[in-house]
Formats: sequence, structure tokens, C-alpha cells
Amino acid sequence: MTLPDRSALSRRDYVRTLVAVGGASALAACLETVRNDEERTVPSGTDDPESLPERQHAWNSVLSTDEDGNVTPPQHHVLVALSLVDGVDPAAEESRAAVEEALRTLERAYEWSNEGLLFTLGYTPAYFARFDEPLPSSVDLPDPEPLIRGGDPEFDEYDAVLHLASDAPDAVLEAEQALFGDRERSNGIDLEADLTDVFESLADRRRTGFVGDGLPAEHADVPGVPDSIPEEAPFFMGFRSGFRRSQATEDRVTIGTGPFAGGTTQQISSMELQLEVWFEQDNHFQRVSKMFSREHAEDELVGDYGEALADSSGLTDERIAATEADAREHGVVGHAQKTARARDDGEPPLLRRDFNTVDGDRPGLHFLSLQHEIGDFVRVREAMNGEDLDVPRANNGILHYVFVDRRGNYLLPPRSLRALPSPTPDGEDERG
Amino acid sequence: MRETPAPNRSDRPRLARRTFVTGVTAGALALAGCTGDGDGDGDGDESPADDESDDDSLDEDTLEDIEVGPEFLEVEDPPDAVYLPTHREAMRMLDPIETGDYALAPMLSYPHPFWIVAGGAGEEDVSREDPDDGRGVHMMFTLWDPETGVVLPVDDGAELRVYRDGEQVGSPRSPWTMISQEMGFHFGDNVPLPEDGRYTVEVDLPPLSTRTTGDLEGRFGERTTARFEFVYDDAFRHEVGGGVDYLDEAEWGARDALEPMDHGGHGDGEHDDHGDDGHGEHDDHDGDHDSAEHSDGHGQDHDYVPYSALPTIDDYPGTLLVAPDADTPETETHEDLPRSGDAAVLATVFEPGHRLADGDERYFLVSPRTPYNRVPLPDASLSITIERDDDSDPEHFDLEQTIDGAFDHHYGTSVPETAIQPGDVVTVTFDRPPQIARHQGYETAFLEMPPIELELPVDDSEDE
Repeated sequence: MTLPDRSALSRRDYVRTLVAVGGASALAACLETVRNDEERTVPSGTDDPESLPERQHAWNSVLSTDEDGNVTPPQHHVLVALSLVDGVDPAAEESRAAVEEALRTLERAYEWSNEGLLFTLGYTPAYFARFDEPLPSSVDLPDPEPLIRGGDPEFDEYDAVLHLASDAPDAVLEAEQALFGDRERSNGIDLEADLTDVFESLADRRRTGFVGDGLPAEHADVPGVPDSIPEEAPFFMGFRSGFRRSQATEDRVTIGTGPFAGGTTQQISSMELQLEVWFEQDNHFQRVSKMFSREHAEDELVGDYGEALADSSGLTDERIAATEADAREHGVVGHAQKTARARDDGEPPLLRRDFNTVDGDRPGLHFLSLQHEIGDFVRVREAMNGEDLDVPRANNGILHYVFVDRRGNYLLPPRSLRALPSPTPDGEDERG
Repeated sequence: MRETPAPNRSDRPRLARRTFVTGVTAGALALAGCTGDGDGDGDGDESPADDESDDDSLDEDTLEDIEVGPEFLEVEDPPDAVYLPTHREAMRMLDPIETGDYALAPMLSYPHPFWIVAGGAGEEDVSREDPDDGRGVHMMFTLWDPETGVVLPVDDGAELRVYRDGEQVGSPRSPWTMISQEMGFHFGDNVPLPEDGRYTVEVDLPPLSTRTTGDLEGRFGERTTARFEFVYDDAFRHEVGGGVDYLDEAEWGARDALEPMDHGGHGDGEHDDHGDDGHGEHDDHDGDHDSAEHSDGHGQDHDYVPYSALPTIDDYPGTLLVAPDADTPETETHEDLPRSGDAAVLATVFEPGHRLADGDERYFLVSPRTPYNRVPLPDASLSITIERDDDSDPEHFDLEQTIDGAFDHHYGTSVPETAIQPGDVVTVTFDRPPQIARHQGYETAFLEMPPIELELPVDDSEDE
């Protein structure tokens, strides 16, 4: 991939594109753009690992919230797919030490925040299959499945994924280069270790994306992204999401018992979005009906892009319970309405940290969610599929517009076990 | 996307268009909307536009005119019923494909408006799609069971992807389920194309989840993919753009329908003369797949593409329900069937023990269809209430959408024999109208669909 033309893009779009391109030259261009333009520094991190939370996924407390108390996710994201280098024994102490040291270097270089860098390292079932022992029963991490009738997505069958997130585009690019490039310093910190002895970064599985008010509309130059996206919309589908009351808490998704207590499971579904049909064939009333519910549309609860919904998706128990009846009577059900049927005593089971993408020069979504167990996600996806509902596919939420290409399941171990965990860490010596 | 000069449609004189159509591609007119292209590579030997595209008599302005497609003319104040549109479409038919349990026939036309439906009666429930002025096609396919010839008219999650030189073009699409007067039931969408060239299309068909019975039971359980290619170029645009056949303006909006396109045996150089006025009796058109064709589906030539016409009244066993105030107890012809939202509603109750019923119960079948061409109206929700002239409580049944090898698409339920008797009044309720997209002439019908009151005739004659 070649570098974008600076003169053809807005500054924001340019750096977003650089994140998507990745690599040393993109980083150089990004640094030149953002660090020479203004007196700005990325806050540096800490020498004291103990000051950082035990949960890798403990992001919310350092992220800002909007006026309605909804957490504002970091703007720039990279998912780095990792495969163990041939011959590396994941149980070898030197390998674990190398991984831990590299990650601690990142923590020294960048503040644990959206202004610095947030990251998680997660491991696939394929990684744990390298060991003879199974994962403990306190961890639900099955192999990924299609979860769609007749669906045929590819699966993440490499070892691990590193999720880098920041509001600073140069931070995610630089962190990636620090771990896999030939940089010697990162945000002013000397790099003492990288990951290249242990992990290979799979370039063709690299995924990127962005979240933020107005970012989707700035991508109208990408084929398949129509001009008609609301300017303020934070997501490609044109509506806000991630409402506080529709999100699981970090506590809820955290594994509570067993050797991986303090960890969580992560699933990533990558999908293409058909936005031209969504925005140019459906009308706003239909979009609201399909995204939220028919009642949201009739009662005008959403506004232009979800701004009328303060801190929840506006789903009462009655609206959720009305899903079947809405299907039969109105011929349309809302995505939010039907997936909320998978709530557990009214509690949302997923903590969504999804972001939009133009990877492959087409609009898409990397739907990343954290949940106590992968089974929670499966339950939500089945509720979303709505195979039990008497409704045609075109009006069955947003199924008509999303096309899942890949799925992957991961365990995000607690920070103390994030470096090449064995499935049975109990039986091993404590390591630093 | 490549910029195409936006024609100012309102200013474009219709007369000029007609002159163009008549003067340049008169040959296409005779084909009347079915410009066969058996080999699908754009070199069809019967496409007069191929020859015409090099014609020096075409000046640049005229060519520019159909860079996208002909203009779309409006019918003012159409009735809330099936009506004659302004024109017959032209399209290129590609070779049918068999894949898995399915047969699929791709068809291509120029991008044009259609209407999508979510709901029915509300003002916002119908949305009109107006294509960009950019280049592209209206991509369609008919999907059917090659064993029985039954067209599979349900929205079960088909997906299509377009490729050029191995690279995907645009985002994937879920084609809409659609009805049009000429095409019957089909899948389709307007698909923008960046430039001229050869394109490959992949259609993914997931396992069918709709209830299937009879010869269709237990089939279509495997995902399968169909692939086809086409060339998008000047010759194509002339063929499908120039082949449009406008009706006399006096006919526009009249309560009638265009006759179904003759799909059968395309490519053999024979085409029905569709140049009549569209008022003919449609019940005997060639696209019929009546019960006789069901039995010999294997004998069809490989170019055969069925039209989604449902069986005629006489093809259904059991006792036909009639309007209580009907002058004659017998409903003889299709157009006599009771209507709701201009849909003709055929309701019949089979004798006890029919294969579609549970045990020795009776099967209640309702088959709403378009009033002239008998096109199925899928993805509606229907229920029935049976009332008897005594003190008993009415009985209510939800009907399930079903596709049967012999009786085709319908809504049905098994009912206990005691639940329905001669003289009972049955109210057929459309809990929602058919959730399908529509081409011009169908978009104002089948939306507001009031309940229909029917009666099981007392004079129950032998009917098998």
C-alpha cells in the first residue's frame, strides 16, 4: 500500500489513512504531520507496572465520557495479528520474558490512556491448542463458528492479536513499529526489547479503524461510502451506539474465578457494510425501524443520528418483548430490539469496543466485543439472526446490510499472565 | 465512481426518445423486452444493438443519451391497485445456471427506480429507490427448482458480490426480493459499475429456511454459489436502453398489467410478439408452470426460465371459499377471486388427510397473488378466523408461509376437521402486506390489505 496524497486529504483524513497504511514510512509521515504542526506531545507512561490495572481491558476509567455518561472510545485502532515465530516454544521462560519486556516498554513510553496508548494482547484457541493441557472450565473459549445460516466466514486461526488504541494516530503507528519495526526510540523512550524474536506480525491480517463524531462522513471519498451519511454520525451506519445502558460493565465481562480471574474473552467479527443501499434506498424511518425498532421510528425517539437517545438505546422491556409481534404485524424488527432479547435479567452481556474501517478500500466494521464467555456473544448473535422471527431478511434488523467475512475468539488474560500464557498457569511458578 | 454528465431528466423531450428508439433500434422493439443473448458474452447474434452501436448515423449526443439508461417516465396519480406502467423493459438474459439444488437465471437491464417496503400502510413504509446517474445495471435473477419448475420466491438471505479482474467491485449486496409485471418474482438491485468491462458476479445462496413441502421438502439445505459473467459496454447499453418499449400514454395507469415476458426457450430466435396492447388474457401465457409442467420438468430445455405464475384455480384440490354475497357460488375465473389491496385471494380447504395436513385434519391454504399474472405475494403475514353461526367461540389460526412442489407458494395451516364446516365464515386477515420490493405498476398495490370475509360453501360438490 502506498502513502496517501497529503494534498488531496484533510489533515484528519490523512492521518487516519496513514494508520490504515501502517509501516515505517506511514509513521514518519504521521509524525511529520502531527508533531511538527503543533506543540503537542503524547504523554509518557510509567516505570511502575504495579500502578497499572490487573485487567488488560480496564480502559473505561481512563477514557472520557460524554454529557450523558457514555464512554468515548479511542479514535484510532489497529489490530495486529500475531503468529509465533517457527521454533519458538511458548512455554520457554525466555520467550515469555521477551514478550513481557516488550509490552512494558510500551507502558513506559505511553500513558495508559486515550491520549497515550491503550492495548490488549489476546490469544486464540489455536494458540492454546499448542499445549497438551486444556484451558480450565472457568474459561469459555471455543473455536469460532460461522453463527449464520449458510455463512462461510474465515476464522482467526493465528496465535494472538494485539489491539492498539489511541486518540493519537502517531501513538498506535509508533507502538506497532516499536514492537515490529526497526525503531530504537518510541515517544522518547529507548526501546530495549521488541516482539520480533517471538511473534511475526501478519501484514495481510492487519486491521485498522476509527470511531468518532464525523469521522465516517469524512470517508465519502471511499467507494461504497455515500455522501448521505449524516455529518455528525460517529459510526458508518449513521447512528450513535455504545450507550452506557446498552453496554456491559467491565466487571460484568471479567472472569471471576480460576487462574485467569481478571481476564475476559474477546471476539472480533469483521464485516463489510452495504451503505449505499442503507442510505440511498431505505428512508430514515426505515433505517430507524431496522436499527432500533418500529416504535422508535413512529415515536421519533432517535433523532437524526441517535442524538435524541441520551444514554441508552431506548429499549424498554415492552419494546424488547414486542419483537415477535412487531415482526408479524409490521414486517420489520429492529437490530437493537431483537438483540436485546439476549440480555440477562435486563443486563447487556457485551462490552462493545467496535470501530469502523475502510480496510480494503470498502466500508466495514470490526465488531470487537468483550464478554464473560464467548457463549454470551453467541447468544447475542443468535438473537440478532432472529431465525425464530416471522420477518423477511431485508427487514430483519440490519442483516441485509452486513456481511461477516471473519470471526475470531480470544482470551485476554489478566495483565500478569499476558505474556505467552499456558492454559494451566496455576501449576507453574509465579513469574514476573 | 466515474462522473457521468447528469441528464436533466425533466427537460428531456419524450418525443426525441421515442424517435430514437424507433429510428435506431427498431429490431429491439420487435423483441419487446426480451433481447436474448444466449452466450452471455455480449456478442449475441440476435442483438441488433450490436450492429447499431457502430452506426455512423448515431451522433455523439445520442450515444451520450443512453450512457446510463433511458429516462424513467412517471405515471401521474396512479390508482391504489395494479396498473399499466409506462413501458416494457428490455433486458439481456444470460444463460441459466444450475448449482446445488437450484437453478438461477441472471438478467440485466439498466438501473431504474423501484420501491422497497418495510411495513405497508404508512407513508414512510415504502421508499423509492432512484438510481444515481452513474453507470451500472439493474441486476436480476430468477431462482427456481429445476426439478419442479417452482420459482422460489422468498427472502432467505441471498448475497451477491461483483468482481472485475479478480478484484471485488463495491460492497456486497443482499438483492431485494421483487415483483414486476413482466418478470414476476425475482431478486434484484441497481448495481453501480465503475466503468465498462467484463464483470463476474457471485451469488451466494444460503440454505433455505422457509417451510418447503411435497417434492421440495428436505431440499435446498446446502449453501451454494452461482457464478456468471457479463460485459458492460456501449453495446449492452444500446441493447437494453434502446429496447425499451413505451406504451401509449393513454394506457399509462390503467388498471391492468403487462403480460409476462416470454422467458422460455430464449436464444432460439423466436420471440412472441409482445407488441399488442397488454390487455390480453394472461391466463394462458407461455410462462405458465401448471401442474402438467411440474411433472415433466426434466424435459425442459436448458434455456428454460420459468415465470413465477402460481397454479390456476382448478389446480387446487379441496373446496374453494367464496365471498358470502357472491352471486354465483362458483368462482370460475381468476379475475373473479376476491381482492384485498388488489391482490386476488385464493383460499381453499383440502379434504381431511391430505399430505399437507397433520394426520386426518384438513389443510387450509391461502394463495394471494397478483390479479392478472398470478405472481405470488411472499413475506406477508396471514391469519384466519373461523366463525360459526352458533354460540361457539371463533377459532383463530396463524398461517405459515410455505412453498410446495405442486401448489407452489402459499400460506397454510392444518385445521381440525371439526373446526371448519360448510357455512362457516372465514375471515382472512393480512397481519402485514407482502414485504417485497416492486417495479413500476405494482408499487401502489398490496399495501393496505383489508381482511376478506369468505364462506365455505354449503353446496359442497365433489372437487378432486
